[in-house]
Amino acid sequence: MNDHLVQQQPAAIQNAASAEAQRLVDSAVGHHVTGPEYWRSIEHYSQSSEVQKLIDEEFAGYDPKSLLTTSRRRFMQFMGASFALAGLTLTGCRRWPRETLAPFSGAPKDRTPGVPESFATVFEMGGVGVGVLAEAFDGRPIKIEGNPEHADSLGAAGAFEQASILELYDPDRSKVVIDQTSGKAAVSTREQFVDTLVANIKAGNIAVLSESLGGPTADALRAQAVAAGVKWYEYEPVSRDNESAGLALALGKRYRPVLNLEAADVAVFLDCDPLMRHPARLRYARQWSARRRTADAEGVMSRVYVAETTYTNTGAVADVRIPVRPARIAALAHAIGKALGSKAAIDMALADEAEKNFVAQVVADLQSAQGKAVVAAGLQQPPEVHALVASINEQLKAPGSTLSYLPVSEHEAGRPTHLESIKSLAADIKSGAVKSLIIIGGNPAFDAPADLDLAKAIASVPYSARLGLYYDETSKVCKWHAPRAHYLEAWGDSRGWDGSISLAQPIIEPLYNGWSAIELMALLGGASGVSGYDLVRKTAQSYIDKLQFERVWKRSLHDGVVAKSARDAQQVRVGPMKLTQPAAAPAEFDITFLSDASMYDGRHANSGWLQELPDPITKMTWDNPALISKSDADRAGIKTGDIINIKVAGRSLDIAAYIAPGQAKGAVTLLLGYGRTASGHIGTDTGFNTYSLRTAAGMDATTGTISVTGRDYLLAMTQDHFLLDEIGFDAREQRAGSKGHSGRIVREGTLAEYAEHLKSPDGKTTKPGFVSGEEEEDRSLALQLFDQRVYEARHAWGMTIDMNACIGCMACVVACQAENNIPVVGKEQVNKNREMHWLRIDRYYKSAPGRGDNVGPNDPNPQIVFMPLMCVHCENAPCEQVCPVAATMHDSEGLNTMVYNRCIGTRYCSNNCPYKVRRFNYLDWQSKDPRGFAKPWLGIPDDQQEQSISKIKQMVFNPDVTVRMRGVMEKCTYCVQRIHNVKIRKRNLTPGGIEQIIDGDIVTACQQTCPTNAIIFGDLKDTSAEVVRGQQSPRAYPVLEDLNTRPRTLHLAKLRNAPVTAAASHEA
Amino acid sequence: MSTLTTPILADLSTGAGKEPDNTFEDLRERAPLVLGGRDFTAVTDAVTNIPLGKTPRAWYVAFAMSVSLLGVFGAMIGYLVTTGVGVWGNNQPCSWGFGIVNFVFWVGIGHAGTLISAILFLFRQNWRTGINRFAEAMTIFAVVCAGTFPGIHVGRPWLAYFLFPIPNQMDMWPQFRSPLLWDVFAVGTYATVSTLFWYVGMVPDIATIRDRSTKRLPQIVYGILSLGWTGSSRHWHRFEKAYLLLAALATPLVLSVHSVVSFDFATAQVPGWHTTIFPPYFVAGAVFGGFAMVLTLAVPAREWFGLKDIITMRHIENMCKVLLATGLIVGYSYCTEFFTAWYSGSANEMFVFKNRVFGPYSWAFCTMFFCNVIAPQFFWVKKFRTNIWIIMAVAMCANVGMWFERFVIIVTSLTRDFMPSAWGAFHPTMVDLATLAGSFGLFFTLFLLFCRFLPMVAMAEVRTVMPAAHALGDHADDDEDAEAAHDRRRFDYQPDEARGKKRKKRVD
Repeated sequence: MNDHLVQQQPAAIQNAASAEAQRLVDSAVGHHVTGPEYWRSIEHYSQSSEVQKLIDEEFAGYDPKSLLTTSRRRFMQFMGASFALAGLTLTGCRRWPRETLAPFSGAPKDRTPGVPESFATVFEMGGVGVGVLAEAFDGRPIKIEGNPEHADSLGAAGAFEQASILELYDPDRSKVVIDQTSGKAAVSTREQFVDTLVANIKAGNIAVLSESLGGPTADALRAQAVAAGVKWYEYEPVSRDNESAGLALALGKRYRPVLNLEAADVAVFLDCDPLMRHPARLRYARQWSARRRTADAEGVMSRVYVAETTYTNTGAVADVRIPVRPARIAALAHAIGKALGSKAAIDMALADEAEKNFVAQVVADLQSAQGKAVVAAGLQQPPEVHALVASINEQLKAPGSTLSYLPVSEHEAGRPTHLESIKSLAADIKSGAVKSLIIIGGNPAFDAPADLDLAKAIASVPYSARLGLYYDETSKVCKWHAPRAHYLEAWGDSRGWDGSISLAQPIIEPLYNGWSAIELMALLGGASGVSGYDLVRKTAQSYIDKLQFERVWKRSLHDGVVAKSARDAQQVRVGPMKLTQPAAAPAEFDITFLSDASMYDGRHANSGWLQELPDPITKMTWDNPALISKSDADRAGIKTGDIINIKVAGRSLDIAAYIAPGQAKGAVTLLLGYGRTASGHIGTDTGFNTYSLRTAAGMDATTGTISVTGRDYLLAMTQDHFLLDEIGFDAREQRAGSKGHSGRIVREGTLAEYAEHLKSPDGKTTKPGFVSGEEEEDRSLALQLFDQRVYEARHAWGMTIDMNACIGCMACVVACQAENNIPVVGKEQVNKNREMHWLRIDRYYKSAPGRGDNVGPNDPNPQIVFMPLMCVHCENAPCEQVCPVAATMHDSEGLNTMVYNRCIGTRYCSNNCPYKVRRFNYLDWQSKDPRGFAKPWLGIPDDQQEQSISKIKQMVFNPDVTVRMRGVMEKCTYCVQRIHNVKIRKRNLTPGGIEQIIDGDIVTACQQTCPTNAIIFGDLKDTSAEVVRGQQSPRAYPVLEDLNTRPRTLHLAKLRNAPVTAAASHEA
Repeated sequence: MSTLTTPILADLSTGAGKEPDNTFEDLRERAPLVLGGRDFTAVTDAVTNIPLGKTPRAWYVAFAMSVSLLGVFGAMIGYLVTTGVGVWGNNQPCSWGFGIVNFVFWVGIGHAGTLISAILFLFRQNWRTGINRFAEAMTIFAVVCAGTFPGIHVGRPWLAYFLFPIPNQMDMWPQFRSPLLWDVFAVGTYATVSTLFWYVGMVPDIATIRDRSTKRLPQIVYGILSLGWTGSSRHWHRFEKAYLLLAALATPLVLSVHSVVSFDFATAQVPGWHTTIFPPYFVAGAVFGGFAMVLTLAVPAREWFGLKDIITMRHIENMCKVLLATGLIVGYSYCTEFFTAWYSGSANEMFVFKNRVFGPYSWAFCTMFFCNVIAPQFFWVKKFRTNIWIIMAVAMCANVGMWFERFVIIVTSLTRDFMPSAWGAFHPTMVDLATLAGSFGLFFTLFLLFCRFLPMVAMAEVRTVMPAAHALGDHADDDEDAEAAHDRRRFDYQPDEARGKKRKKRVD
């Protein structure tokens, strides 16, 4: 064999080659010649036959002789064929599905390396999709924005949508198929999972428990599976079933109500939070703010009434709000309905003066705003309240103007409610009717009604398979677990609140090889190996005209929404109905459940961004204490942070208490979604599992007792809690203002006085509280220590923040976090006031003065003001004057810039910043574990991050923004990277190299995502810019202007539109 | 404590067991500055025998303790640098905490030394000679401690050199408008001048030790340190000129350093910081705190090293008087701050001072006020000024009080400034406390080394204020026998006469 090779080589090489070959052969067979001898073990040294056999079979199936006997011609044939095969499929060794993303063998059209691209897709939660744009940087999604084409987004994105990007790169996401049939978790393969699944499907008796999936493909596949005999159960712990059931009661069948808040002069929300806790919240917020913004031009705006148990965002921006126990809502609705002539309404006595006043005002306003008014009830309210509200709305002629009823999908119309569904599943499992259970998404073992004990039930099913993003509580009790693809990794579709269809496209190859829900559902119908792409396209053929299919498909993919797919409103009439007398408020505490503003139902528990996102009202991070009113707490001797015991129908929960201003007396509110036991490193064991008190009989509200345990608990809030000492409280009152009065920092006025002022702005008429002559003088201080800077540059950036539009939804905070690579610090660091959010939304309570004991913390119904605050980019920046190394300075366009490389971290700038908007990297946050301690870091100072931050986590970083190391100061930059990206792009477009930037070209991350357009950024030198108009508004004021810092960001004072009588009665 | 001293000294200083009283004020004559009937040799003996004699066992004990604390300091700094400033309790809004409190505290301590050695020198306060070396050493060691903190409190200590105006490839200068930069220059200058002044003043004394040492190693080391001092009149001439010039140079620094340090606060706009009274108030506070620290060190040192005759009760009493005077200035400043806050009409200022007294840190304010204003009032009474237990108690109070003064200024102002939404609290961590304790380790280690190996008292200067110096100098050409004149001068002070006679007269 050697000869065969040797013949074809020159002599010198022949010798060398043969010597080498001989040596190899010798060593292989153990004929060692000279030199040291190496051996691996005594057995090896002794050359026993077993060892020899093992050595020989080290590469089983590989016979070196066969290679050596191959002729050159044959070798070339083999190699050629394998290269050709590899090349033909463009995949090399791995078999990439062809329709998914391909690596760059050639540059795709219109793609410039380093320039991010946006792809439209859809984010689905609770069966309703919100269109989003995923910004991908060189094939890696790094940011989620709203999709302006989508009716439920209108260009805005909420905190959940923004944070979904972090979920994509969550290292805790489930990565492998897990087989637990033996009782222990073992890693298995996709093939085995499919084999077992198919085998069980063939055996029949299949039940599927899925989360709400609203897309047409899911509908089609579900129908297919049901037709094939699969029993289908659907469960969402937070659903709007009460609403659809109520509408079915009133209108004959289920409908989706869609509000048009832009047309509503008067809106009444009964325990309802459409601006924060609704699938269409972004759209509603946009509409609501549009109707508030008319105050500047026309001197009119909407008036919002809210009666609710716990302060919600809608309650916070309401003009009139009363706190009532959940059971009282029905009484209020009946009283309003009765006064407006609704036939369904029953005569109900109102409990107290506050309720009577509220109803009187609401009725008066609603009557005068017929056709321009709307009433809505919350998802926690029973169906009867919704039915009553439908009849009130009909009295108000709301349908057609402020309200429309859309038909629901076939599935939606026919399915049992989620509660019934989960109850029947539990019963079916118990009766043994379910032999195989497939759970798609959701987390029923954690969030199903506690009395069903579903975790145990699932575990008792002989075969159970789970498709989930995380190996969570439900996966733990199933026999099989398969990883689910993130929505950014998979094809899919979904329907918005108005029924419009959106397509979801993968932006990145699945990181952990997961399936999407529809791919798994296809298996149920018997099809195997069908890709998501084919499924979605196939369904699309049912709603896209075949003749124009490709064109419309591409268009829909591009826009993220299928044109004209929204459902049309239907003209419906409320039929006769008989409502029962609502029960009187019980003697015990009302215990109500509310979805959490950042955890929702618990599914976002492993997102560090959302865990650390302060609750809009309580500013709580990482926890969900029970919210209790001050008077109840005083009576029971409870302080914020005490652990209390809540007992509901024999179930008991120890939970920390938080004294929530504005909480209805007699009601304790529990926020859902915390207390996860298997959520991943971030989400496990944060807060308290309130599902443990939530039973099928009391999903929305129940009754219970509370008692004090004597233990306490550490709660981490980003803003000082309400109970300051007296001095602190007085000072805050002075600065933030008290009810009806502007403070020094937070200014507000009433619409009435503002409208007067707009008519004659010279100030001869009543001056609103926020426009005072004094401040005008202050703004032009004659004596200046430093010369006024002259800006010769083409641009002067500035911002306005409209406190009248801000609903405190926190979307901007997450957007800023995603855009600017802001780290998560962890609970105990938040407790040390070291949270890193560049943008914070200050929440101030305002209580009425002069009401005896009911003032300050004792005020049962204080008002709320939201004040978003980030670096205001002072012209006379106090931070710049004190930095010893010139690390923070002004640029030619007026930005107060922060040079991280230069910063040595004296923190003097932060001390001198009166707004306290600077943030310092006290520890190496990016690599620090938010649930653990900081580790000493002994690497090389300036390149440690590359090594210390997990590779997966690194993928989420925005490459345009420096990832700050520890020891440097950071703060809002007005998204300087966005400014420069646009400038560069525009400069390249113009031949002279002078950029022509028009207003709106540059949007900051917070502005872009803001559902209410409360944040406006722009060029102060562009006289037509919106920001200039905003800054010229009489409502505009610089915060802390007496310090002569001359901020570039101006805040616009808040307006309240309470009826005059209400204000008067409140003061009295 | 006689075991700690050499036999001769023990004999000399303890005498009848009760200290002679030189704290009287007699208009007819000056009180003697050196007691115990010491002559030049005896003074020299007393001082040089410390570095040349055997190391007292207590020194080892004290040194071991100090070095252990120093080790803690090193470990804490190591932990800080490798992990981040987050190991301290600093936060937003209170982004300065113990680091800067300790810095200002230690810088303040230093002031007394320079005041004693430079200003009192220029004002011909001869009593200073007994304590000036000692106080100045304390200054330098305090400045060493102080200098550590700005270096380690920054977020990226390895880049702290950005603070210095070093030419660099980035063509970047520091930002000269920042008071922190002024600090760098002020403290740097102060450390340099103080060290020079201290060292220059020590040269003749080191030469004396060199001449008296019998072993090779000390001879070499002290020989190098004494810079070839021979004691020639030319050397003396130049020495005195240089010393005078350095004293003149150091004098304005006493005022400038702490004024500049106070600018860190005064030029910031934080309510409670932004006030023009800070420079004089800080200087007075520094002198107050510095004298307290000199007392804290001097009282035990004179006991243990047998220097009671040189650092006499009169010195101690004088320092108590300074403590009282500066304590009054400090108290006055506190009151003025409140008045200014009220008079300014600024709501923020008024709130800060109200918050100081009644807010969450009122305990710190009360500690400060008691220690700095109430405690020194004891010193109106001479009986208390001469009782070392009371002196030590008051000095300790002043040390604690001055530390708390900085704590109060920094923490109460920062935790509640303009935006109520950003208000917070400051809680020191164990690392904070250990670092503070550790800085005392550094200070005492250096101080103990100084006590052991360098002349603790300026012998040359002390000799010039002894009557003998003048007896010989003033009356050299008199008919009177020099020795007789010496005796006359020496024994004209009655209370000491008896014991002076016991010893045989010796003239250097």
